[in-house]
Order: sequence, then structure tokens, then C-alpha cells
Amino acid sequence: MTRYQIAPDVAWVSQEDLDGGDAPTAYLTRLPGGPPILLEGSGCVVWLALAEGGTMEEITAAAAEMSESTVEAISDDVAELVDQLVAIRVVEEH
Amino acid sequence: MTEEADARSAPIAARVHLAHAVVQKLAEDRGIDLLHLKGPAVLPGLRAEGRQSSDVDVLVRPGHLHRLAGALESVGWEQRTHFATGSVFAHAANWWHDDWGWVDVHVSWPGVTIDAERAFDVFARGRVHHSIAHRDCLVPDRTAQRLILVLHSARSGGTGDTDLAWTRAEPGERDDVRALARELGAEVALAAGIGELERHRNDPTYALWHYFLHGGSRMDEWRARLAAAPTARAKVALLTSALRVNRDHLRMELGRPPTRQEVRERQVLRLRRAGRELSARVRRS
Repeated sequence: MTRYQIAPDVAWVSQEDLDGGDAPTAYLTRLPGGPPILLEGSGCVVWLALAEGGTMEEITAAAAEMSESTVEAISDDVAELVDQLVAIRVVEEH
Repeated sequence: MTEEADARSAPIAARVHLAHAVVQKLAEDRGIDLLHLKGPAVLPGLRAEGRQSSDVDVLVRPGHLHRLAGALESVGWEQRTHFATGSVFAHAANWWHDDWGWVDVHVSWPGVTIDAERAFDVFARGRVHHSIAHRDCLVPDRTAQRLILVLHSARSGGTGDTDLAWTRAEPGERDDVRALARELGAEVALAAGIGELERHRNDPTYALWHYFLHGGSRMDEWRARLAAAPTARAKVALLTSALRVNRDHLRMELGRPPTRQEVRERQVLRLRRAGRELSARVRRS
């Protein structure tokens, strides 16, 4: 079963870390020379779900819980976003 | 589903956090000894919640400065001020990055008078890991951080927030800070930061710290700097630079490198201003 996790050379901070704000926003970069990347809204929710690592099912379930949605409603979007994050190498799959 | 955007529009606080992580990674990759200071590097409980920094401050082992400069420039930082022009203490230089903003690289800390390499060892002695942007960054221990915050406040005219770092510190914690200040030769600067400067009226650096706290004319500043310069050579260097235009600051003011003509015009302005201050002083006396 493929597992996903944030790549070890990524630094990131959420708006909640910065000021306790509840707008789901995350700022990240690959170290040391990567560009800044901004994830807002549901993109941030998936990122936060990825922080603990897990299978696609686990990440989808965590994202659904955080966004008060259902797995069925978001699974396609989550899978697409995770694929994009893998493609830009800020998420690793094992 | 996702909205990736240009993170240059990210708030400064986010950029500062990520920039600390970038600098830490550069240091790890190249064997550079450095400590992260101020801003998100401050340990919990030493500064008020919600305070935000606009730049990254690091203290680098002086012998590793050239390595850090090369590392910063390898990922796009550009040096904008030099150590001789960055501040009164010639202790810091600034690098700019279009994505990450300013990094202030310090080889010593204002108020510390012992050899900079030895001072780094003292600051680094109790270093601890502190997470910034989910990366382990090395920062000084709590006692050193209290001292750094108080010295910074003194250098900034007493405007820094030392409530948690000093005012509300326990007596034992204050004793530790005083002992560290003695070891670093920073007693006068510490005194300036905690309202005890008058106990050091006879110290050569008294006038300088008095100037930082209470202000004065440019002439007052230079007189104070001259008094504080520890050697004859340092005094001569100061006098030489006193009326020279700071090209780095002029560049930042203009937003581009100054032309020779602009430097000449600014030189004339400086001389006129110095002349006016001197005339006013003569008239007063």
C-alpha cells in the first residue's frame, strides 16, 4: 500500500502557526533553493492531513474530518492534489 | 481543489519563518556554525505573543562568515550592506532575496566586547533546537536569549520589549543573565537595557549607550563613538569614515546603486550638515 508523507527537505508553516488564524493557508518551500508555494483552502487542509503521513485512504479520511465533509465527496480532489504535490516533490510516496 | 499562488504575496511572517529554515539548511549542508536570533527563534515565554519580525537575524561564527556569504548567494540572496556600513558596531551586514526578504548576518552582538569568535562559543555553549517552519533550528539557550533581547532593546533606544525577558524574570534568572553579561564584557550594555546605565558613568562606552537611549545630534553620536573606540587605530578609522557617504544606505534609499554624482552631492550635504551642527554648538557655548 503506497504511503505519502511530506518530503524531508520541505519547510512549511500554516497561518494558524503564525497568528492562530483559522483561515486554512499553508506556506511551504523545498530547501534550500525552492520557490515559495502557497496552499489555500482545501489545498491547505490536504497538506495538514499529509503532515502525519499515511495512505491515500487515511489522508482522505483526515481531510474529510478536518473539512467536515465526506470521504466520497472529496476523494477525487484529494487524490489529484496529492499527485500534484508529489509531482513538485514536496510530498514523497513510498 | 487547490489554489497555488505566488507566495511573494505571503505575509512577511510566513516568509521570515521559511527563510530561517532556508538558512538553517544552508548551514547544515555546508558545515556553518550559526545561531538563529530574535523573531521566531525566540523561545516560548520570552516575548509577547503576536510579535512579528520583518527579517531574519542570525549570528554566525566569524570564521565561517565567508562560507555563509557564499551559501546565501548560491540561492539568490544579494549582499546589500557591508559590515563597515551596516551599523555603528560594524557587527552586521544585510542580504536581500526577492522571495525571502532580508537576512541580517551578525558576527557579533552590539554590547558584547570580548573577541567575536570567543563570544560565539559562549552564545553557542547552551544552544538548543527550536522548531521554525517545522525544521530544527539552533538557537541560544534561555539565558543567552534574555541577554540578547535586552541588549537589542538598549541598542534600539530602549524601545524593545524586555518585559518577559527581564522585568518578569525570576531573581535567579536575572543573576544568570548578569553573569553571562560579565563573561561577554557586556555589563554596560546590559545596564543600559535595564535602567542601570548611570552606574557606569566612567566607562568609555557610557556616552554611546546614553546616545542610543536618549538620542542627540550626529556630532554627539560621533563623539560617543570616538570615546568608545577601544584603540587609537579604531579612533582613526572612525574619524576617517565620519564624513564619508554610506554608499550602502544611499543605495537602499534610492533603490538602485548610486551614481558618482549622487555620492558627491550627498557628500556635500553631509559636510554642510556637520558644519551646521558645529556652528550651533559653538553658538550655544
